[in-house]
Amino acid sequence: MILAIIENAFLSLIGSAIPASAVVMLAATGAMLGERVGVLNLGQEGLIGIGAVYSVIAVLSWGVESPWLAMLIGMMAAAAAGLIFALCVVAFRASQVLVGLALALGGIGLSNQLGVNRNGTPIQTLFREVNPGGVLDDNDAVSAFFFHDPVVYIAYVGLPVVLWFVLFRTRHGMNMKAVGENPAAADAVGVSVTGWRIFYSVLGAALTGAGGAYMVLSFTPTWSPDIARGRGWVALAVVIFAGWRPGWAVAGALLYGSMISLDTTAQARGWGLPFMGASDLSFFLSMLPYVVTLVAILIPAGAVKLGRRVRSTAAPAALAIPYAREER
Amino acid sequence: MTPLASMAGAVLSATPWRLERRLEVDAKRAALTRIGGAVGAMVVVGILLLLTGRNAFLIFWQALDAIFGRQRGVEGVALRAIPILMTALGVALSLRMKVWNIGSDGQFLMGALAAVGVGIHMDGPGWLVLILMAAAATLAGAAWILVPALARAYWDVNEIITTLLLNFVALQLVTWSALGFWRDKEAAVIQSTREVPFTLPGIPGADSVTIALLVPLAIAAVLWWVFRSTTIGYEIDIIGGNPRAAGFAGIAVRRRILVVMLFTGAIAGLGGMLQLSAPGAQAMNAGFSAQFGLSGFIVAALAGAAFWGVIGGGLFIASMFYAGIVLQTKGLSVYIIFAVYGVILTGIALGEIAARYRVARRDAADESGAAADEAVAARKGAGP
Repeated sequence: MILAIIENAFLSLIGSAIPASAVVMLAATGAMLGERVGVLNLGQEGLIGIGAVYSVIAVLSWGVESPWLAMLIGMMAAAAAGLIFALCVVAFRASQVLVGLALALGGIGLSNQLGVNRNGTPIQTLFREVNPGGVLDDNDAVSAFFFHDPVVYIAYVGLPVVLWFVLFRTRHGMNMKAVGENPAAADAVGVSVTGWRIFYSVLGAALTGAGGAYMVLSFTPTWSPDIARGRGWVALAVVIFAGWRPGWAVAGALLYGSMISLDTTAQARGWGLPFMGASDLSFFLSMLPYVVTLVAILIPAGAVKLGRRVRSTAAPAALAIPYAREER
Repeated sequence: MTPLASMAGAVLSATPWRLERRLEVDAKRAALTRIGGAVGAMVVVGILLLLTGRNAFLIFWQALDAIFGRQRGVEGVALRAIPILMTALGVALSLRMKVWNIGSDGQFLMGALAAVGVGIHMDGPGWLVLILMAAAATLAGAAWILVPALARAYWDVNEIITTLLLNFVALQLVTWSALGFWRDKEAAVIQSTREVPFTLPGIPGADSVTIALLVPLAIAAVLWWVFRSTTIGYEIDIIGGNPRAAGFAGIAVRRRILVVMLFTGAIAGLGGMLQLSAPGAQAMNAGFSAQFGLSGFIVAALAGAAFWGVIGGGLFIASMFYAGIVLQTKGLSVYIIFAVYGVILTGIALGEIAARYRVARRDAADESGAAADEAVAARKGAGP
């Protein structure tokens, strides 16, 4: 009996965590893609905003009726921003930290400006939950765990599997890792470091934009200023926690997501503690996702330092270092 | 992949110009190109706004005229310069050893929050409470960066994300204090903490600027002296240049990183107290920091960690900031300012890189060099 209650609570916590951090999952995959080839894009927060606002514009102003098309438009907008970023840091070799922060700031500012007349307008063009044979039950924890919209399956299953396969089972993946670990060697065997870095940072930016699009096309589903609310930064943290391995990003995203759903559940049910009222507890719980994310970053490094070596959790060796052939 | 790369290569080699790397980059030229990048970025934004039918150049000129034409405007800039200068000095100090403290907003907020805690709970002579507030703010700022600093120094955990995540925690904590544990129950409209009854003495002749303005100037002077004349400053610069070499030279690199990071947090935290002790700003709410940390970061990036440059850059960004407030009354939203910040920061980053190159005309020798490259590439392509 008690076991069943705990199991139910766990399932419903994770069940609501899954859609809550699908954005983080998509952005983390996008960031990881760029970082694997040595490009650190700190602008995830801005890319989420750009992806989200252009999906909103597509639906509300351009009359797009398919959520997939709206998402594609958001992804293309984010990819365009990612291309500007990539040209600055890869082609011109500007500081990835500075331009990344600039993208975060500029993306937030631009998306808020574009969304200013669309605040709170509900979006009707939504992704629908996959519901085979009508077995979905809104009140059932098992249903909450398994049935989501298609984007969620792509984010949590499709993308990690594809990325894992490409990275660790193909020659193409070997080349990607070579560009991120030792660009001079990759260059020497004829892999165009510049080309690969630009291509994968743009593709990564598009994925992060898809995360923003998912927020407004399913999760919230409406535009509000500062829509990313730190999820872009959390995604960057998840990549570190995951040790740049796609599968582990799922665990990191769900960890963050369950903290979010703990907060929302506590607020909705008015939970309190003997020494802390309901409102104080909710303030406390709203800090928790960021604190837990911070601790999560420390885990792999701590595990290495304390002697419990985790297999290959180090950052790509050439991460954030511009590659210049003439300085080889 | 290959078509994309070869396309990019073709575009570059199609021009008669090529980039040549300078053997030495002198600091003055780098500063000039950074400023050039920032100004160029602003011109780009102005042209974009012009295309949308707003004459930003005219509005901006009017805003600057409104600032520097009268005392209220000048004081408005000075008031905003204080927090921006403090966070910028903290960031600039960390940049001396190539550490990115992006959490100065959080350290600033925690410093102010600690100062509120002391200010609303203590009775006593004003000067004593103010000194205790400053001490508490300094400690709180340092404490807020303690975990990222320890992780960076001893576990080699990159400080960018860890310091930034704590900004969100600090903001939540400030919101909690304003709506929860230190809430002013009399104020009905704007929810904020209770008001601290003490303010710093004003500068003679000024309406609102206090002696807080002297603090960043003094800190800049001290830091300038430390890096010019002391062993510690020299060691920090060596760590910034090459941490491995610094380790071989017998410098306690990890401890230096920890201590410097704590100082950057402490300076930002003290900035929070200075902001709080200005007349009319003695209570906190969630909007207490108007992105002062980010503004400070941009100032430090613009100044390239030169402390006197921070003062100049800080006044520049503070004027921009104040002009931005004036611009808002003319129909530009606050969000535009962020977008402009983003473009300016990109301009600074590109300017920084531009100092390292010069544009030279391709000559015959290069052409033969390129031909040799192509021959090598062709041989590689044909190989096994």
